[in-house]
Formats: sequence, structure tokens, C-alpha cells
Amino acid sequence: MKVLLALALLGLGGLLGLGIAGLWPRPEPQDPEPVARAWGVANAVAAVVLGVRLWDTLFEVLVYVVAMVGVRFFLGGLRWRGELPPVAETPLLRRAADLLLGPILVFALYLAASGHLGPGGGFPAGALLGSALLLLALAKGVERLSQELYEPRLESLEYLAVALLLFLGAVVLIFLVRAPAAFIAANLLIALEVAIGAWAVLHRFASARGEV
Amino acid sequence: MVAVLLSALAFALALFALTRKRLLWGVIGVGAHSLVLAGLYLVLAAPDVALTEAAVGFGLVTFVYLLALRRTGKLVVAASPLYPLLYPEGERIAGLEWEILARFARWCHRDLEVIWVPRAEIPRLVRSGEAHLGAGGFLPNAEPDLRYTRTLVPTRLVRVRGGEGPLGAVAGEPSPPQLDGEKKLFEDAAELAKALARGEVGSALTDLLHLREWVMRDLFPEAEVQVFPEELGFAFALNPEDEELWAGLEEFLAELERRGELAELVRRYLE
Amino acid sequence: MESLSALALAVALALLGLWVLVGRRNLVWKLLGLNVASGGSILFLVALSHRPGARPPILGLGPGPAADALPQALVLTAIVIHFATLALALALVILLTERRHTQDSRKLEEEEG
Repeated sequence: MKVLLALALLGLGGLLGLGIAGLWPRPEPQDPEPVARAWGVANAVAAVVLGVRLWDTLFEVLVYVVAMVGVRFFLGGLRWRGELPPVAETPLLRRAADLLLGPILVFALYLAASGHLGPGGGFPAGALLGSALLLLALAKGVERLSQELYEPRLESLEYLAVALLLFLGAVVLIFLVRAPAAFIAANLLIALEVAIGAWAVLHRFASARGEV
Repeated sequence: MVAVLLSALAFALALFALTRKRLLWGVIGVGAHSLVLAGLYLVLAAPDVALTEAAVGFGLVTFVYLLALRRTGKLVVAASPLYPLLYPEGERIAGLEWEILARFARWCHRDLEVIWVPRAEIPRLVRSGEAHLGAGGFLPNAEPDLRYTRTLVPTRLVRVRGGEGPLGAVAGEPSPPQLDGEKKLFEDAAELAKALARGEVGSALTDLLHLREWVMRDLFPEAEVQVFPEELGFAFALNPEDEELWAGLEEFLAELERRGELAELVRRYLE
Repeated sequence: MESLSALALAVALALLGLWVLVGRRNLVWKLLGLNVASGGSILFLVALSHRPGARPPILGLGPGPAADALPQALVLTAIVIHFATLALALALVILLTERRHTQDSRKLEEEEG
């Protein structure tokens, strides 16, 4: 067993070394400026993510949605029977949620809307939104918040966001639209989709009687 | 220079996290490691990646781990103390059932947690899923939505008569058919014993093990004891929907019985 | 210097993560190892995009060479996907623990027969 383990690690390390050796001498990195200019945005990474390699991003979003559906499916059968044991409510958490929620939401929106100009974009914005929702949930009680948010509507909103994103992607790909507006819309949609998915996952993990 | 320092820190954190024994430390260490990595990405002129790593790799991933670990493989046991079976001994917990449960928890890789509750509370907790098991001198009654394991320790019902007055019993415990009438119910055996000592009830319905505890504490030296012939036994109570846990516990108990360890344990604690 | 130390760290992290992934028997520890290994591979790509004295690939940050945007863009999606697959894997581990009462990979394999 130990020998097999050592062999496997040796093989993997060898592959890694081979890969590194192939990178030597390192290729000259491409200048990102032409790409950014061609797509009319300032952030070259955004130009690559939502422009040159839009296909990648669309399929990545699909993978994300499928994974979230999987989590819902697998943890759906593990809901608590009867009453959920209450989450400890602390005044500190309540105050923190009151104070931090607004700034976090604004910052997340800013990140999503300005992703084409500077660092940011839909993914971190969505993750921030999801964490903010979890913070709120810990302060208010998970089940109460999930009732207020009404999960099925949230879920359909997520699928709507994905559909819109796919539609937008199709428009960009077919008509070769190159406008910052498309970037802003795509980033906002991605943020919405990631946030709802993250909330669904965190909510499921918080309320399933699962034990790791 | 900053990059070298951050690299060293990131590696040290990863090494720290992955060599821990406790999972919680691993998760916290990997979270801190992700944060340092985010700083490193910033130094390496990748602010987009740094932001995403901080929000997703540090924030969401750590959250998911922590939420999943929230009840780190716990086996929650709702129990009322009973001296040789399951009882607190200073800071520790000891007893026959404790030893069985501790071994079972090791067997299925879970941490054991005992919450002390009155006997009458146990069925509700087990039914709602707040506790996985009911134990600690749990005498099976005809409670419809509970499931029991095999009998661990056989016992019989007894009536302890101290004087004139109503009959007292513990809520939820079985009673012999000839005593089906009105009873004064108490939350657990300790309350019942106190009431009997105060003369609030004239006699108390309990079982041999509780009687043994009372006799050892020299509580009712002059009481008259009547033993009922029905065979009963202490067992663990489970939620009937928790099919796997029941099967696992039964398998474990069968194994103990087959190897004669169950009998050995009973002898050690009860003789 | 910067990217060299980062490359070395990336390789070290990948090996460390793989070691834990293969060597530990608890499934959650394996996932943590995978987490670290994925961090290593991400760092590897980011370190490749860097060159000495480079600025972030954003216009208007002054003269000088800029870091390559392509690896950074690739890595961005990898991080999010890693979160998604991790959540799915943890859900499966929870389900396994609920059904089989063990997270020990060897025990699970033995039970499979």
C-alpha cells in the first residue's frame, strides 16, 4: 500500500516536473492591451473572461448551476423533521449584520458593475452577496430568512438569470457586440446567479441534519 | 521580497493545517492559507484573481466547511442519569451504557454528546431529531413512534410503599396492568424519590435498578417493596426513521453479545 | 524572484495537497488536501502570467509591461468551479456519513467488497 502510494506520488510529481520543464524557457507573456482595447473595456481580464473566451464562461456557469442543483438534490432528503434546533443568536452578530449588510451589498454591486473597468466582476460580487445573505441568516435565524426569501421564487430567479445570461452570450457571439453595456449586464447576471447558488448551498448545509 | 515572505507563510499555513488531527483546525488553517494566497496573487499583479480568491476561496469555501462541520459527526444522546448505567461522575460520565455508547461512537466515527434531560423529555427529543438516542435507564414503554434496541439489562417493576398516600410514578414509564389507575406523575426518578421522602406520595412505582440506587443511598430503609412479575429491560430508544443508525447499533450490540463482552460488562457494573 | 518563489510554492502546495489526498483516509481531509492542491495549480498559472516589474492587466495604470491576462482569466473560473464541486463533494460525504456511518475511505472500499 505504502509503496503504491509512493509510486503514485512519484508519478504525479514527475508529471508536474515534466510540465514545468516544458515551460522553460518561459514564453514571452502576451501584452493584454490590444485585447482590452479591442473589446472597449479597461480590464483585460474581463475582456478575456466575457469576450474572447465567452464560451468558457458560459459553460462554467452551467457547471456551477448543475453542481448547485446536485447539492439541492442530495441534501434535500436530509431536512430536519419537526423543529430545527435554534441557531445561537448573539447581539454581537445582530449588530454586525445591521452594520455590515449595507456596505457589503453596495460593495458587491459596485464590484459587479465596475468589473469591466477594474478588478472585480460577477464572481467575487456574487460570492460576497452570498456571504452577506449567510451573515443575515445567522443573525436572524436560518429558517426565518429562508421563509422570507421564499426559496422556490429564488430558484426560478436563478434559472431566469442563467437563461438571460445564455441569451446575452448568444447575442454577443452571433452579432459580435462589443459594448461595455454587455459586460455590465453579464457581470450583474453572473453575480445574481452565483449569489443565489451560494445562498442555496449555504442554506442547505445550515439546515440539513447532515453530519460530516 | 514580499512575495517570498507570503510564499513561506502560505506554505507554513498549509503544512500546519494538513498535519492537524482535528478537522476544525485543518479548516481554519486552510482558510487562513487561502487568505495569504489572495495576498500573494495581489503581489503577482493579479487583482482580479486575488479578489475572487478572497471572496470565494476564503469566504464561501470556509463557510461551507464550517457549516458542514457544525455538528461534527456528533451522536447526541438524551439521557436521564441512573447510577450503574449512565451517570455523571464529576466532570466525566461513566456507566455501563456509557461504555457501550463510547465504543459504538468510535466504531462509527462520531463524537458522543450526552444531554441530561428528565425521563419524560426523551421521546420528544428523539422524535424531533434533536437527539439520536435515548438512554440512561430508559425503560421501553408502548410509545408508538420510537424504536428500541435489544434489551441491555433486564429488570422488573417494583412498588415502594412508604406510607399512606397516592401512588407516584415517572411520566412515560410503563406500569403493570393492575396499577392502571390514577397516578401522580413526576419528571424523573430523582423527583419521585424526593416526593416519596417528603411524604407527598405514599408509594412509588419504579424499577429494580432505581430501587437499588435508593437502597444504596439508604433512602427508604423501612419501605415495603413489592416486585411485579413482568420481565422488562433497559434499552436504547431511537427514531424509527433513522433506519441506518438502528441497524448499525443493533449490529454492534449483536457483535458485543456474540463475543461475550456485553455479559462481561453487565457483570462488571451490576455485581 | 517573485514568480520563482511563487512557482516553487505552487509545486510544493500541489505535492502537499496530493500527499494528503492520497495518504489520509478520512474523506473530508482528502477534500482539504484537494483544496490545497487546487490552490497550488491556480498559483502556478498566476505565477506564469507574471513577469518582473509587471503591473496588473488593466489599462491606464501607467507604462511598463503588464501581466498576461489569459491565465488569470482561466484561473478566475477555476476558483468558482472549485467551490461548486467542493460543495457537491461535501454534500455527498454528508450523505455517505448518514447512510454508512463512516468517512474512512478504506472502510467504505472494504464494505463494497
